Amino acid sequence: MNLITAESLTRAFQSTVAVDGINLSIKEGVCTALLGPNGAGKTTTLNMLTGLIKPTGGSIAFDERYHGDRRQYIGYLPQFPKFYGWMSGQEYLMYTGQLCGLTKKAANERAEELLTLVDLAEAKRKRIGGYSGGMKQRLGIAQALVNNPKLVILDEPVSALDPIGRREVLELMKKLKKTTSILFSTHVLHDAEEVSDDIFIMNRGKVVIEGGLAELQTKYQKPTIYIETEEEPDIWCRALKKKEWFRHMHLDKKQLTITVENINTAREELLADATLHKLKPLRFEVVRTTLEDLFMEVAKK
Amino acid sequence: MRQWFILFKKECLESVRNFKWLWIPIVFILFGIMQPVTSYYLPQILESFGGLPEEALFDIPVPSGPQILAETLGQFSQIGYLVLVLAFMGVIAEEKNSGTQLMILVKPVSYGAYLTAKWAHMSLLAVTSFILGFSFAVYYTHVLIESVPAAHVIKGAVVYILGMLFVMTLILLFSTLFNSRAAVAFLTLGLTIVVSLLSSLMPNTMRWSPGMLSSHAYSIFGTGEGGEAMWLSIACTLLIISVMVGIAVYIFRNKETASHSS
Ligand SMILES: Nc1ncnc2c1ncn2[C@@H]1O[C@H](COP(=O)(O)OP(=O)(O)OP(=O)(O)O)[C@@H](O)[C@H]1O
Ligand SMILES: [Mg+2]
Repeated sequence: MNLITAESLTRAFQSTVAVDGINLSIKEGVCTALLGPNGAGKTTTLNMLTGLIKPTGGSIAFDERYHGDRRQYIGYLPQFPKFYGWMSGQEYLMYTGQLCGLTKKAANERAEELLTLVDLAEAKRKRIGGYSGGMKQRLGIAQALVNNPKLVILDEPVSALDPIGRREVLELMKKLKKTTSILFSTHVLHDAEEVSDDIFIMNRGKVVIEGGLAELQTKYQKPTIYIETEEEPDIWCRALKKKEWFRHMHLDKKQLTITVENINTAREELLADATLHKLKPLRFEVVRTTLEDLFMEVAKK
Repeated sequence: MRQWFILFKKECLESVRNFKWLWIPIVFILFGIMQPVTSYYLPQILESFGGLPEEALFDIPVPSGPQILAETLGQFSQIGYLVLVLAFMGVIAEEKNSGTQLMILVKPVSYGAYLTAKWAHMSLLAVTSFILGFSFAVYYTHVLIESVPAAHVIKGAVVYILGMLFVMTLILLFSTLFNSRAAVAFLTLGLTIVVSLLSSLMPNTMRWSPGMLSSHAYSIFGTGEGGEAMWLSIACTLLIISVMVGIAVYIFRNKETASHSS
């Protein structure tokens, strides 16, 4: 049974159609990613699911078992969570917990539990105004969980974080996955691949590709070669674009990822390339891609 | 109801932490003290500046107790209202524009409770400040000039408080309509002034209006009785207040919370 089924969900702002007739089915017990470039309509979609904005067309249905006010069953972390800076982390969680109907005592217990979960126990009495971005993000996740929601909706939970914060939040999401359903948006494919089971790729208000992660991977994965060199491969690799086996590449300083059509020809030619040898290769590896290629293609359209 | 009280408590705590519960009462207390004290010492003050000839001084009558209390209310209606409007013009806009509102309203929170808790809190702060300030005015009037019967003071104050609630409700209503604090302040003050001007210019046509309440209060201080048609304007004000709160809740419910993604 689907937790949420949205049919031809549409939202227009004056002349721009932010979300254009999308169908979504969010399954229970599953981590779903809504992936798309900036402006794809992710936030607008999530806001419609939470009820913060009204669709201009289409319908949203929640599982019948969860009737009444939809907000009871949802925990939400907005893209830019904002707190009362004058409250402490603990006060904020107690406040939101009580608003969700917990007694003062229960709210206090829940707050302690969540503060430990998101690793804020030490800063719990500090004013939120003095929290770092990463701490606020973790508090944001904690407040989304305060009512033991059936579905946690996280809007770009890791985008604003540094690599360490990102790691922490992704690990936290993996932990949460075991107990609740998660729906999160991101513009980073890698994050979606790491934690989600289902993926919806959006662009310009439409869902372009959807499916289970494993299913998409077998369908769209392209063979890829990963090369790391000691010298800058910048100039050399530009010539590769003309090869007939070349599909796509990504250069990050001295780390080159090339997606290819035919792995055997590509490998032979590259290994025979004298210029590559002069660049002092450190690593040469044949790998399977992430869905990067697919995502780039979709996002460009 | 429990949820309403939690929202209300949060409003109070916030105003305590940002010192609204300190400086607003202080402003009212200052003006409450100043009015009787300056009236009492006015002749001496003028004398010490030596501006007036001896005979003129005898002509400045020391005002009566009820008159001083009325003048105090006059001060409250100007500076007091200005302070209250400045303090609360962001009552909705602040949370909406900063995005804190969105995180609360996505929880199973009643929109009506959210709004009325804010309204109740700002009214409580306004009325408390008024009572404090006015008590000082009454005390100093009693010490320096003459005492006004307690029953008159209390009855008059209650009538005046109703007019105050009308202004606080205006702030609330305009806050749900406009995102700009300047617009809220301008419209609230503007409408308050227009209503009170019209009421003093055309007391007959405006006999129902909240703008008549202060003059009823003045007359209660003096005679113990309100002016003509006092009950009409009290009833109309109560009605207007409840209708405005209703409209505010209706608008607030139907406005989209997440108007911007950032
Ligand atoms: N309140 C609004 N008024 C007008 N246009 C809007 C509004 N909100 C969103 N849009 C438009 O709708 C489109 C989708 O916006 P949305 O915020 O949903 O994208 P997103 O996928 O969340 O992007 P990002 O990754 O930048 O957060 C954008 O083109 C945006 O300009
Ligand atoms: Mg967004």
